[in-house]
Amino acid sequence: MTCEEFERVLPEIEGAHSAEQESHLHSCSVCSELVDDLNAIALQARLLRDSENEEPAPGIWNSIEIALRQEGLIRDLTSAPYLVPARPRPRRLAWLIPAGALLLLTFGLVQHERPRSELTPQVPIASTNPEPTDAANSDDQQLLEVVSARSPAMRASYAASLRDVNSYIRDAEQSVKTDPNDVQAQQYLMSAYEQKSMLYQIALDRPLQQQ
Amino acid sequence: MTDARKSQAKKLSESELIERAKQGDAEAFEALYHLHKRRVYSLCLRMTANTAAAEDLTQEAFLQLFRKIATFRGESAFSTWLHRMAVNVVLMQLRKKGLPVVPLEDTIDTEEEAPKKELGALDPSLAGSIDRLQLLRAVEDLPPGYRSIFVLHDVEGYEHNEIAEIVGCSVGNSKSQLHKARLKLRELLKTSRAEKARKP
Amino acid sequence: MLSKTRSAGLVGMVVLVGTLFATAETRQELHFKVGKKPSISINNQYGPISVKAGAKREVVVTAVLQSNKVEVDQSHRGNRVDIISHLLTGADQDTGQVEYQVLVPADANVTLTSMTGPLHVEKLHGDVVMEGNTATVDVRDVSDGHVHVKTLSGPVTLTDIRDGHVEITSLGGDVVLTSVNGPLVEVNSSSGKIRYDGDFGAGGEYSLTSHTGDILATAPSYASIDVTARSVQGQVENDFQLQPKHTAFPIKAGSAFAGTVGKAASSVKLFSFSGKIHLKQR
Repeated sequence: MTCEEFERVLPEIEGAHSAEQESHLHSCSVCSELVDDLNAIALQARLLRDSENEEPAPGIWNSIEIALRQEGLIRDLTSAPYLVPARPRPRRLAWLIPAGALLLLTFGLVQHERPRSELTPQVPIASTNPEPTDAANSDDQQLLEVVSARSPAMRASYAASLRDVNSYIRDAEQSVKTDPNDVQAQQYLMSAYEQKSMLYQIALDRPLQQQ
Repeated sequence: MTDARKSQAKKLSESELIERAKQGDAEAFEALYHLHKRRVYSLCLRMTANTAAAEDLTQEAFLQLFRKIATFRGESAFSTWLHRMAVNVVLMQLRKKGLPVVPLEDTIDTEEEAPKKELGALDPSLAGSIDRLQLLRAVEDLPPGYRSIFVLHDVEGYEHNEIAEIVGCSVGNSKSQLHKARLKLRELLKTSRAEKARKP
Repeated sequence: MLSKTRSAGLVGMVVLVGTLFATAETRQELHFKVGKKPSISINNQYGPISVKAGAKREVVVTAVLQSNKVEVDQSHRGNRVDIISHLLTGADQDTGQVEYQVLVPADANVTLTSMTGPLHVEKLHGDVVMEGNTATVDVRDVSDGHVHVKTLSGPVTLTDIRDGHVEITSLGGDVVLTSVNGPLVEVNSSSGKIRYDGDFGAGGEYSLTSHTGDILATAPSYASIDVTARSVQGQVENDFQLQPKHTAFPIKAGSAFAGTVGKAASSVKLFSFSGKIHLKQR
C-alpha cells in the first residue's frame, strides 16, 4: 500500500485498521504521525464537551421568560385554572383568549359521552352531532351579545364563525378521545382552540367608538 | 425565581420538571433552562465562534423547545431532544446567512483553505501536546462548513449518518469533510505552535 | 318674512349643503421622524391600509377620511407611532371609512388592524402583524422579519416572503402562499383552502393545517423535503416519489402518506380533518 492509497481511504476508516493499513503504518512514519495527530485532535475534541463551562449572559433567561409569557405558555399555577367561569360578564371574556390556547393541556380531562361510531370514514361532513357544553355555550352567547351591542350587523357572521370553530373543536376532541397518544390529534385540538381564541380576540378588540 | 423556589425546583427530577413545564409552570421552565443552558450555549458558541450569535441562538433553541414541550413524550432523553433542536437552530441560522453548512466536495477549498497533508518532516507530532485552549482557538479559525461537521462529530458525538440527516448531505460527504476539518486543525495547531516556539 | 315656498327651499338647500359637508372627503398628511426599527401600528376599523417602504427615516401617513364622523387619533412616543381611526356617534361602514397610504422605513415593525380592509404591505424587513375580520390581506416581498396574520374570513395572500417566521391563522379565508420560505411557516385554517406554491426552502418547518379546507402544495421536483400528510376523513394525493420513513401513526393508503424527497432538508406537515390534500409536483 502506498501513502496515496492510504490517504485516500483514511477518511473512511472508523475504528480498527485493516492488516494492510496496519502494515503501512508500521513502515511509514509520515502516515503514522498523521494518524496519531488526527486521533489526538479527535480525543481532545471529545474532552471539550465534558469541560463545557461557558455560560450565556444572565439576561437570556429573562428574554425567554418574557416571550413565553407573551405566548401564554407560562401561566400562574397559584390561581385555580378554571376554564369556564360560572357566570362570565362580557368584560371578563378577554381571559378566554390565552385560556383557549392552553385548553389542549386539559384534553385528558374533557368528558364527552359520544359513541365512537359517529367517527366513520364514510361520513363526508365533519361534524354531525353538535353537543357543546352548557358553559361554553354561555360564553359564546355572551360574546354574541357583546358583538350585537357594538355592531349588530356582524352578529350573524360571528355566529357562523362560532359554529365553524366549535365544530372544529368537537372533531379535534373526538380525534384525541379516539387515540390519546396521537400527537397529531393533539395538534389539531391546539389548532382548533387557537382559532377560537383568535375569534374571541378579534371580536373583543375594537377601537374606541363613542356611544 | 425566589431562592426558596429554586431550591424546591432543584429537588424535582427532570421528568417532574418537564411535566410541570407542560402545565405552564414558570419555575419548571427556568429550572430546565439552567440545567441545560451550558451545554446548549457551548454548542452554539463552538459552531458559530461568535458570542453574540451564540446567545441569540441559545435563546431561540430554548424558545423552540419550550413551545414544543407538550409534544415531548420521552422516547429519547430530554437532553438529546434539546440538543438536536439546538443543532437545527444553529444550522438554520448558518443557512440563512448563506454560510456553507457542509462544504460541497472539491468546490470550496481554495489554495489557502485546502489543508496541507504534509507539514514537513521536522514538525514534531501533536499527540500528547494539544491543550484545550489551543484547540478552541483553532476550531474558531476553521471555515464555518468544516467547523459545523467537526463540532457535531468530534465534540458533540453525532454519528455520520445522523450528521448526514441533520445537515442534508451524504454520509460520504460528512466523512470526507470531517477528515479535511481535522487536517486543517492539524495545520493550524502546528503553525500556532511553531509561531510560539519562534517567539523569544 | 320669507314665504313658505322660499323657506322650504332654503331649508332644503341648508340640508343639502349640510349633507355635502358631512360626507365631504378630507385628506390629512402626517409626518413622524423615527429612528432604527420603529414600531408603527394602525387601527382602522373600516377602510384600506397600504404600507410600503420609503427611503427616509420617517413615517408618512396620508389619510383620506370619508366624512366628519371619523377622526384620526395619532400618538408618537419615542420610536413608536400609533394611529387609530376614531369613530364618532352615528358612524357606519361608509361614513366611518378612512383610507391610509403609509410610507415607513424598511426596517419598521408594522401592526395593522382592520375589520374590512383591505390590508397591504410590501418591501419591508421588519416584523409584520396583521389582523382583519373580512379584510383581504396581501403581503409581498418581506424578508428577515416575522409575518403574523389573523383573519376570520378575509383571504390572505403572501408572495416572496423569506427568512422569517410566518404564522397565518384564518377561520374561513383562503390562504395562498407563493415563494414563501423561512425557518417556520405555519398556516392554521378552519374552512379556508390553503395553497402553497414554492420549493419549501432549504431547512425550515412548514405546517399547513385545516379543518375542512383543502390543501394544495405545489413544489418542484428538486424540492428537499421530509413530508407527512394526513387527512382524517378526506383524501390525500401525492405526485412525488417518496423514500419511505417511519411514522408514529399507521399510513392508511388514500388517507396519509409520508416520506422524503432529496436530502429532506425541510420538514413539511400537511394535515386536514376532512379536506383533501394534494402534494403536486410542478
